[in-house]
Amino acid sequence: MIKLVAGALVAAVTLALPAVLDDSALAVYILLGLAAMVTVGVSLLMGYAGQVSLGQGAFYAVGAYTAALLALNGVPPIAGLVAAPVVAAVFALVIGVPLLRLRGHHLAFATLAMQLILLSLAGQLEFTGGDIGLQGIPQFGVGSFEFGSAAAYAYMTWAGLALVMLVTHNVITSRPGRALRALATSETAAASSGIPVGPYKLVVFALSAAFAGLAGGIYCFYTGYVAPGSFPVLISIQYIVMAVVGGLGTIWGAVVGAGAITLLVQGLDQLASLPGMPSYAPSVLSYAVYALVLIVVVLFLPHGLVPAIAGRLSRQRNDPPVETR
Amino acid sequence: MLAVDGVSRSFGGVYAVRDVSLSVADGEVCGIIGPNGAGKSTLFNLITGHLAADRGEISFLGHRVDRLAPHRRARLGMSIVFQAARVFRGMTVRENVMVGMHGRTGAGFVSAALRLPRHHHDEREIATHADAALERVGLTGWADRPADRLPIGQQRALQLARALCARPRLLLLDEPASGLRAQERERLAALVAELRADGLTILLIEHDVAFVTRLADRLVVLDLGQVIADGPPAEVRSDPLVLAAYLGQAS
Repeated sequence: MIKLVAGALVAAVTLALPAVLDDSALAVYILLGLAAMVTVGVSLLMGYAGQVSLGQGAFYAVGAYTAALLALNGVPPIAGLVAAPVVAAVFALVIGVPLLRLRGHHLAFATLAMQLILLSLAGQLEFTGGDIGLQGIPQFGVGSFEFGSAAAYAYMTWAGLALVMLVTHNVITSRPGRALRALATSETAAASSGIPVGPYKLVVFALSAAFAGLAGGIYCFYTGYVAPGSFPVLISIQYIVMAVVGGLGTIWGAVVGAGAITLLVQGLDQLASLPGMPSYAPSVLSYAVYALVLIVVVLFLPHGLVPAIAGRLSRQRNDPPVETR
Repeated sequence: MLAVDGVSRSFGGVYAVRDVSLSVADGEVCGIIGPNGAGKSTLFNLITGHLAADRGEISFLGHRVDRLAPHRRARLGMSIVFQAARVFRGMTVRENVMVGMHGRTGAGFVSAALRLPRHHHDEREIATHADAALERVGLTGWADRPADRLPIGQQRALQLARALCARPRLLLLDEPASGLRAQERERLAALVAELRADGLTILLIEHDVAFVTRLADRLVVLDLGQVIADGPPAEVRSDPLVLAAYLGQAS
């Protein structure tokens, strides 16, 4: 009952916000939703399946470039938007075959390297527009209806996020989801329960890439412009910080984490662009704050915001849990 | 049912298991014992597929399995209870047991994401069998608790329920009694005896000779990677080679 009311309230606020926000606030709202979409994938990959990726920004970029290139070549935007997650997932499947043989830190660095390689390729190749990138991407539209306002993109973003959350929820509470959660603890024991560990890791990697690719597709139509500079390595780190702050292995944690970090970074950007601040202030501040937030959360809220709040609520409602032994 | 034929495995030039042959018949409880470092765990991993043999053949239910991945062997009907606690963290006791049904069901990512009929059908079947397995090992009352917070005895029982959920043809137990208190050990022995009475084929690898002697129809003794005795427990226990191996280790 409480869940139902809370859900309805969240939905109502989500739907009402685009109508009342001005364009600059809407931009933050859209970027927040896109970041949350990628972060849900990170939470699925890291929190549930136990695989690390420092390269989710690369899948975001693949989605954005895919949709942009298709749209610039006259393909209807809707087809580009569908292609964005599909191409990102296929790309993840291909690079995942060698990469997912690695574990832990090795996997993290390999995915990071993958993003660096991809960015430098995008900066060199002619068809991706080099360092300048791709400009003049048409507005999103279906048939004769064209998106004219930021509010339309906000609705599209949050509908996409709802879809991503629903898919993630459905997957983790099912046979394949339990298999993913099992292999996160012990690949040996999972395999001996009949789970094909390698293919399952590959599929969850591709699924998280598809979420990032969808976000990238929406991003390119919204901004009308993509370039290598839009997808720095910092963006991949940011998704991890968001997932950890919100609570790895919780779907709502990804959204709350994305919200908290996006708003924090916005605040810092305004602080850093005050008169008298040096030109490098924004990037220094954001790197420092990611580090600081991560350390504070790991020290004081090791399970993240959402589990900490949920734990406090359930402790107020029930007696303290009895130690079982 | 299970035939191991001339299997060897070495690590850095030292044989952990050397030219081992043994077989387990349908409905039999076979115990593998041996002093520390005899190669019991290596042999176990060779049978389950977590290690590859350098030489030799392993067949199970008439299939050559020594080149098959662990999950394929599991799907043929090998279920394992590991020695180290291998319960899946972040999942409830029931969810852990449900994982055991993986090989017997087929709903994949698409069925799950779209909640297709296949998903609902499988979930019902998985839940029914998981609850039955929980009941069997006496964990029904613990079903909704986090699995990693269970005491070690119940974690072992949980692994057994997970293994039984897969409806195994052969149940492999790796040192199931280790780390258990006397009372937990008794409960486990009673459970294994019950399973034997049901006709389940069991391969028991055990350090505790008294525990395995009570349960096994036949004992295979390993020492320094080789089989030194194979026969009924009473015979094996008075075998001079076996006594020497154990006394040699004790001195």
